[in-house]
Amino acid sequence: MVIVILGVLLVIISLISLGSGQVHVPLTSMLAIVGKQLGIPGFASAVLMPEQTAVVWHIRMPRTIIGLLVGAALGVSGAVMQGVFGNPLADPGIIGVSAGASLGAVIAVALGLTANSMYYMPLFALTGALLAVGLTVALAMRDGKIPVMPLLLSGVAVGMLLNAITSGILTFMNEYRLREFLFWMVGGLDYRRWEHVWLAVGPVMIGIIILCFLARHLNILVLGEQEARSVGLPVFAFRLLLLFVASVTTATSVCVSGSIGFVGLVVPHIIRLLIGPEHRVLLPACALAGGLFLVACDTIGRLVISPAEIRVGIMTAFIGAPYFLYLLRRAQKGGGLS
Amino acid sequence: MMSKQQSALVVDGVCVNLGDKTIIHNCCFNVGQGEFVGIIGPNGAGKSTLLKSLRGMLPVASGQVSVFGHPTHSLGDKKAARLVAYMQQEVNVGFGFTALEVVLAGRYPYMKWWQNETEQDRYIAKKYMAFTGIEALADKPVNQVSGGERQRILLAKVLAQETPLIFLDEPTASLDLLYQEEIFRYCQDICKEEKSVLIIAHDIKLAAKFCSRLILLADGKIIADGIPSDVLTVDNLEKAYGLHSAVFLNKVTGNLDIHTYAAASHTNRQTTVHIIGGGGSTGDIMRRLYEGCYRLTAGVLQEGDTDADVATAFEIDFVIGQAFSEITEQQEREHKEKIVSADVVVLGNLCYGKQNLNNLQAAFFAAKLIVIEDTPIDERDFADGKATQLYGKLLLQKQVTVMTSMQFTTMIEKHELRELTEKMK
Repeated sequence: MVIVILGVLLVIISLISLGSGQVHVPLTSMLAIVGKQLGIPGFASAVLMPEQTAVVWHIRMPRTIIGLLVGAALGVSGAVMQGVFGNPLADPGIIGVSAGASLGAVIAVALGLTANSMYYMPLFALTGALLAVGLTVALAMRDGKIPVMPLLLSGVAVGMLLNAITSGILTFMNEYRLREFLFWMVGGLDYRRWEHVWLAVGPVMIGIIILCFLARHLNILVLGEQEARSVGLPVFAFRLLLLFVASVTTATSVCVSGSIGFVGLVVPHIIRLLIGPEHRVLLPACALAGGLFLVACDTIGRLVISPAEIRVGIMTAFIGAPYFLYLLRRAQKGGGLS
Repeated sequence: MMSKQQSALVVDGVCVNLGDKTIIHNCCFNVGQGEFVGIIGPNGAGKSTLLKSLRGMLPVASGQVSVFGHPTHSLGDKKAARLVAYMQQEVNVGFGFTALEVVLAGRYPYMKWWQNETEQDRYIAKKYMAFTGIEALADKPVNQVSGGERQRILLAKVLAQETPLIFLDEPTASLDLLYQEEIFRYCQDICKEEKSVLIIAHDIKLAAKFCSRLILLADGKIIADGIPSDVLTVDNLEKAYGLHSAVFLNKVTGNLDIHTYAAASHTNRQTTVHIIGGGGSTGDIMRRLYEGCYRLTAGVLQEGDTDADVATAFEIDFVIGQAFSEITEQQEREHKEKIVSADVVVLGNLCYGKQNLNNLQAAFFAAKLIVIEDTPIDERDFADGKATQLYGKLLLQKQVTVMTSMQFTTMIEKHELRELTEKMK
């Protein structure tokens, strides 16, 4: 039920996102452009303005799709991390993903590689994120187990260390490159092209599908390590698998959009309040809601101070933080966090 | 101890280490099908550690655990979970999972990794929820129910695992008496279906009441193993808990009962006190003297009299007489022997009839006699004034001291009784 509602809202917000901006495109022509580009019969004969086609198909379409992918990835990964850690305050960045991605990105910028190809920055960010996660897990692992508390602490330590290195590199960079990095740091969806879509769509979609398939096991894992083991769940293997897939998914999305906060924290929370903790429903719902939230934030950011834009990473925090606080207060009144 | 069928659990020389410390030392026991085994012992005895290692949650340093003939280390995760269910001590169900979702988790070992729960699984989950009386809570988040309800939900989960062997680590902790008993009763019912239950219990009396067998653990070693009345002995309880106690069959409840107390100094053991009682007049005195660690004898107490029950519970050496009959010559002789060899004799505030007038006569043989008088003798005389006459004569003897039971109690508490006897010697 919730899934259907989210799905409908998602389509509506995507259409609004495609239609709004400096160049206004009416709904009918927008549908015609999309239909024609996708080769849907019946739209082939539509007469379209090339300017509108360019704006909708080459600028707004990739931007919206990236928004959906990144939002979905962050939403699902956030829910998974909260489950794996058994802690409702965990988010995808908790085991060093964002810090690692930032370091990778800053290295790519510092080496001046970003001028050569637009693929360098995402690839460096992805590599950095995965190395950071690997390091975090390796530090926490003992006797073939990944205990949750040490993992959390080593995630914090690794994050701080990598952030320090990032800051160190930044102090030696010239202003132009600093700006470039800052632009990446404050995540945004502007200037995203189809290339970015192709880069992200595979890992993110596969990651989300795998995570949704593992949802039933996550249900058991959330009950606690001993409970999970007593019903025969191989805790180590599943914890590692879930962490790995969620990290790759997050890292991929971070590398195309820069770091975007609050989606991975707030979205799973809201959805859990709405439909409960059953992950088989929760994860798909978080994917839809994450995409919905991010595209909505992006659209609002584009409209409020038009023609200028507020980047989506700022918008998510602006909308997410107060709402999150409101939820917390309400939950406290209702007796305990869910 | 073993039932005729194959052993459900064989524990062979199991040692468990935590860090550098050996927590469990060389434990050996078998559990047959249908047995309800209570594991008892003081805090830190290693009960939970033992249970966890039996389930394979903790590595075994040496020895072997076999479940239905399979060594546990060779069993796969899910195979093991289809044979043994384990309920841990403190479960924190976060994120608002509902009772039904938690109970369904018990069906996990029966599903392939890509499968979802079937209707059959739901039916089984609901069946056990009905068994533990929590069907109504199915859609309620577990973190919103009471402690007793939560334990029953978790018990239903463990049962939904449908294993022939069930381990429960203190499922009754922090529950009201009613729920504690309920959980034990459920377990008893489960064992009737030839399933075996191992339960860690804090409440020894409850464990003794419901379990078919007890294993007493202290310092990681098995101190006793057997039927409750064999395990719960004064010696075992002192060894395991350092507890001074009296273990007896409670005639009111029909259960094994334990009376515990803080023991007085053992030097009192050298003093023998003989108690002449009957009709419930000296139960309290006997208990206080027992706790004071005096060597006690008593007589002549009639069978079925509460004084006789108290004397039995405290393992007092006493002369027993037939109920509603006069004291025989044989009994009289034995009684006199005890009175003569005692350091002090206490004559309780008892009523006299034809049957026990002899007790009053026997009191004359005491070297030192304390007469307890709470009610005047004429109110206690049902022997046509004979008792009053004898009693009056008795009080004229110089070895006699008269006091109320209150005064006597104070005397025991202040350890004046021993001084009194020492002076005499």
